[in-house]
Amino acid sequence: MLTINNLVKHRGNQEILSGISFKARPGRVTGFLGPNGAGKSSTLRILLGLDRATSGSALINGKPFAELHNPLATVGAALDGFGAHRMRTGRAHLRWIARAAGLSRSRVEEVLEIVGLTNAAGKRVGNYSLGMGRRLGIAAALLGDPKILVLDEPVNGLDPEGIRWIRTFLRERAQSGNTVLLSSHLMGELAETVDDVVIIKHGKIVADGTLEEVTGNHHTLEDAFFALTSEHTGDVV
Amino acid sequence: MSVPSSRKITQILRAELDKLVTLPLTWLTLIVTFILNLLLAAAFTSAGLQGAAGTQSILKIGLASMGYLQAGFIILGILATCSEYTGGQIRTTLTTVPWRGLQLSTKYLALAIITIPAAFIIAASGVLYAFIRMRDTAVVIEIDTMIKTLVGATGYLTLTTLLSAAIGALLRRTTPAIVVLLSYYFIVSPLSRDFLPSIKNYFPDTAGYYMYMPPSSDEINVLTPMQGTGISMLWTLIFITVAIVFYRKRDA
Repeated sequence: MLTINNLVKHRGNQEILSGISFKARPGRVTGFLGPNGAGKSSTLRILLGLDRATSGSALINGKPFAELHNPLATVGAALDGFGAHRMRTGRAHLRWIARAAGLSRSRVEEVLEIVGLTNAAGKRVGNYSLGMGRRLGIAAALLGDPKILVLDEPVNGLDPEGIRWIRTFLRERAQSGNTVLLSSHLMGELAETVDDVVIIKHGKIVADGTLEEVTGNHHTLEDAFFALTSEHTGDVV
Repeated sequence: MSVPSSRKITQILRAELDKLVTLPLTWLTLIVTFILNLLLAAAFTSAGLQGAAGTQSILKIGLASMGYLQAGFIILGILATCSEYTGGQIRTTLTTVPWRGLQLSTKYLALAIITIPAAFIIAASGVLYAFIRMRDTAVVIEIDTMIKTLVGATGYLTLTTLLSAAIGALLRRTTPAIVVLLSYYFIVSPLSRDFLPSIKNYFPDTAGYYMYMPPSSDEINVLTPMQGTGISMLWTLIFITVAIVFYRKRDA
């Protein structure tokens, strides 16, 4: 369970997050949607202990990230970018992470197999395509076989096959009782993957509910999203 | 905050060692430093042979390149910390090991583990080269003096590497960190020695010089090797502490 409670983040004079609250529950895929710059990545960075909140809390099973006993086995995270030095090979990248978390080298080969990167594992990360970089990020997130996945824009840069793969993969994870929180600005890709939807705009939550609740009277999630994030802010569903 | 067990600390240390040894830039920096140092040692030895042969100290000539050699170790230190900020690796590091103070401390330890043998081999290679070329003409040196001097040189290069890593962690970007440190070591410090003669011995590089400088009769040793070591260590510890404090407080 991920619990975001009244989270506020200031950067300089700017208020990036204005007291947002939501939950991501086990067994469900929660889509965290919003236009670019709405505060999605800032929220995920605070949740993962990378940035400090000005006030409020972001908890994983009731604890801040830095207090987790075994972070890699609790939360798998893939943020924007590759998360890897471009001069290292994909395999070497995963190996140091495995080493830090006390996991075996065979687990590295397993996750390479899961994301379909086995053949490219010996290549330097700098030579990877955007899609391969995303797969590497997801491989790193899966290393500790965590019950919670936090993915920032996971379909960004993936080809149609890759998008289909991640969709199926995330659905399977949720069905086996795991918590999945993913952020995106691509509505179409998400409607078929998510159970719950949280929409953020200018650092405020403008909708929070099941896919059906948020879509409401609109034809599609995309229509609902534009209705909620255009000039009229809308009320929380 | 949960306190990681000693097994966990060993795992984190080994991961930091993995990061350093799988980074091609680490090896490139060390190999280039080794080769350039030998070339410089050759040049200083040739100059020494043409000079007043017989009274030259092999140690002094073999370590004459130290001033330039330290540039390689400054770059090594900066690479160790700034490479975290390439490709967003820092996010992977901190979501794997969120205990920031411990993580950065183990990085310094891993860097020291790699730097100590590398610094000893590189410093010794220069002295060995001078010894082979000059053994017939130069004054005989005692083995324990040679070992003491090489240990001092290794210590100085290691402390310089760690100090550079701390500056790298503070600045987070490779190029600005290299510009700042090389400007200090090669421009600011040499110039300020003339303007600030009273405190010049207390800078990290000038104090560190006494760690390996072979005893000489024509110079007045202002600091003993132990004093030089103490002051250098203090500087390095101060910068490491400041880097860790900032690292823990700042957004990654």
